[in-house]
Amino acid sequence: MLDLLVVGAGLSGLMAAYTAAQAGLQVRIVNKGLGSMHWNAGTVDLLGYIPGAEEKAVQRPLEAIATLLQKYSDHPYSLLEMKYVPSALHTFVALTEKLDIPYIGADDNEENLLLHSPVGVPRPTYLTPKAQLAGNLRRNAPILIVGFEGMLDFYPLLIAENLTKLGYQARAETLPMELLTNRRDANTVQLAHELDDVTRRTKLGRQLHELVGANERIGLPAILGMDAHAEVMADIEKLSGAPVFEIPTLPPSVPGIRLFRALQDGLKSMGVRIETAMEVSGAQKTISQNGTSERLAWLESKTTTRPLKHRAANFLLATGGILGGGFNSDADGRVWEVVLNLPLTMPQDRSKWFDSSFLSPGGHPVYTGGVRVNRDFQPVASDGTLLYENLWVAGNMLSGADPILERSLEGIAILTGMAAGQAIATR
Amino acid sequence: MYTESWLSVGPTLDECIKCNICTSYCPVAAVTDLFPGPKYAGPQAQRFRERGQKNSPDHSVDYCSGCRVCNEVCPSGVKIAEMNARARAQMAAEHGIPLRNRLLGRNELMGRIGSTVPRLASFGMQNPISRVVADKLFGISREAQLPSWNKGGTFGKWFKKSQSHRLKSEKKVVYFHGCGTMHYESFIGQAAVAVFEHNGFEVYVPSQNCCGLPLLSNGEFDTAEEYFDNNIRKLLEYVRRGLPIVGTTPSCTLTLKDEAPELLDRHDSDAHALSSAVWDIFEWLRDLHDQGELQTNFRRLEMILPYHAPCQYRAHLVGKPALEILSLIPGLDLRESHARCCGSAGTYGYKVEKYEISMAVGEELFSFVKAQGPDVNMTACDTETCRWQIERGTDLPSRHPIELLAAAYGLYDVEARTLLTN
Repeated sequence: MLDLLVVGAGLSGLMAAYTAAQAGLQVRIVNKGLGSMHWNAGTVDLLGYIPGAEEKAVQRPLEAIATLLQKYSDHPYSLLEMKYVPSALHTFVALTEKLDIPYIGADDNEENLLLHSPVGVPRPTYLTPKAQLAGNLRRNAPILIVGFEGMLDFYPLLIAENLTKLGYQARAETLPMELLTNRRDANTVQLAHELDDVTRRTKLGRQLHELVGANERIGLPAILGMDAHAEVMADIEKLSGAPVFEIPTLPPSVPGIRLFRALQDGLKSMGVRIETAMEVSGAQKTISQNGTSERLAWLESKTTTRPLKHRAANFLLATGGILGGGFNSDADGRVWEVVLNLPLTMPQDRSKWFDSSFLSPGGHPVYTGGVRVNRDFQPVASDGTLLYENLWVAGNMLSGADPILERSLEGIAILTGMAAGQAIATR
Repeated sequence: MYTESWLSVGPTLDECIKCNICTSYCPVAAVTDLFPGPKYAGPQAQRFRERGQKNSPDHSVDYCSGCRVCNEVCPSGVKIAEMNARARAQMAAEHGIPLRNRLLGRNELMGRIGSTVPRLASFGMQNPISRVVADKLFGISREAQLPSWNKGGTFGKWFKKSQSHRLKSEKKVVYFHGCGTMHYESFIGQAAVAVFEHNGFEVYVPSQNCCGLPLLSNGEFDTAEEYFDNNIRKLLEYVRRGLPIVGTTPSCTLTLKDEAPELLDRHDSDAHALSSAVWDIFEWLRDLHDQGELQTNFRRLEMILPYHAPCQYRAHLVGKPALEILSLIPGLDLRESHARCCGSAGTYGYKVEKYEISMAVGEELFSFVKAQGPDVNMTACDTETCRWQIERGTDLPSRHPIELLAAAYGLYDVEARTLLTN
């Protein structure tokens, strides 16, 4: 029998599975469809803003977490020992190096990087894939944004103009689409595959060399190779003669997909399978041996006929919040957790979901709600009693944070995923 | 066309968040401009489709192979493949069904005719001249791999003849062989019967019809429904006795479980009773194993075996049960393919305008097999049209996992494809 069944193949589920498998557990992941990582910029945001504080990007997130927790004592970060945070992030970076998709940490000052958004707005983030590093806006160097004629959702002029307004030195150029593809229409993933081809990337590199001015760095949409990403980056930098960086795009987001694929391969080599298209929709509950709390005997996923049973000694839900599909809601104001109907902390009254101000600096209650857990990441009722003896929860299902507002999405996912995996393994 | 189940599909298009994950993973859109991808042909074009419409808004949907990768990766549960299947049926209703597609849809009939004179039929179909004629006249690609009829007669004939050796037992299953096993690959059925009996089950093989899938995928819904009704009529008495209907071809079992009732809007209790009793054979064996009742007295099978789960498992939603069961066999070095599709997609790869696309789609799988090294002697896959395609693309024989399981029980010669017992 499996030691651990993880539900959800987002960053938290993958990192929980990795941690548990690393500790010797037999692990499997099931998920409903491929999701959150395909929308993800590929960076690791740890803490970018403190909600309700004056709107200033956090510079040193490891220190700022303490400030955050003074204000929001039930934040998921409060479940972690603070000395655990840097070491877990270090483990993550080491893993990405092993998987040939190296992430670069913030500099020695442990300061956030300021990287690019698809519309030319700086994003504070803590770790980045190597390919985005040269875009760091804390560094002073003129920027050339290069796009491609007819490419959807990537507008170099808009990006350059917005950067200029914010005081950065930036300009834009547009290259013909034929450089990348002969296809009538292609999305970011297909374009990334096209650039895996040596001839294509050589042509692009040479064209960039013609365009780039002295001391400029070049920002391109994040399509610089899929399978041959490292080689594509190296060739284009060499041929253009300038530092090159990727700007994450609208979905499908190639940097997120690269990380997903790397983690999937890494897990596979550890014997962890990811089974997609398994929507977990039920469970068999039993009473634990000591008779005090409930246990899960198995989870069930939908098939075309009879439910499929997934037996394991332990279960971890990492199905995400509203965005990831872990929670659902209806027009009456009900919000529920989709697998086990775990109790949620958000208001079950639609009129209380949102603050009256749309851009409320403190965020909206419906987004900060979630599953309440104890220090071992096990879900508990409002009075603190354990719900199931062998159930854990990690990532964006956890109550107490608005990760989009805080820019803490991947930090919470990675850190709570790993900590929960550790808690299961050491039990 | 515009039916109750159309309505069950339609609303899911509002769940589409336009994330493009489906298009990124679509194996057909990856190799041709003729298919713009599931998002466009599915939920996007669906907004322009309506009841009683004279002209289908988007003919590119004909290039959808129905592999269902889109459904699998969709984070929002949009029924893209089902939308596309309906849209193809709508096109068939508008333009009529070409003779070629009527032929490809009728493999039961073809099988029956050929089985009366198997050698002659195989020669008639396989020789280069008739392949050119079929190519030019009907549009059946001369390159695609066509099967040969069983030389020793049908599976049904063998089963009848071997009655005196067959196991009698309290525990019984009904075997759904499908047309491929009946007429072209009777050894698959023999291996399945051997495995059932080795596990103590008596096997019933009642008269049965084609599941109807080739007709459904070529847009001939009316004839498909006749077949479905016949199967209900012939199998229901066994279902009522509580017996499982177990099949060796995942596309047939999927059709009985889901595709036929869903696409034909059969929500009546008889249809439901039949579809709920159907199992894919490895789904059933895995369940047997879960209950601790699967015989695991395996011999060692020393070989590297690349295994490709056919696309239909994506729709069964049962994971990869054959992989789980084969992994119990000592010595067997299973290599799981993550290729999206072999390209054949049932009758898709037989069509002259789609043959090249189908081979280009399959390349991902063929190169995976080649990457497993020179010691690989065979591959495995559960569905026959996939196996034929993989054989064509890799020049290696391909086997049904049930053949390997039967071999591991010592009942079957997996090279010669013959039973070692009766």
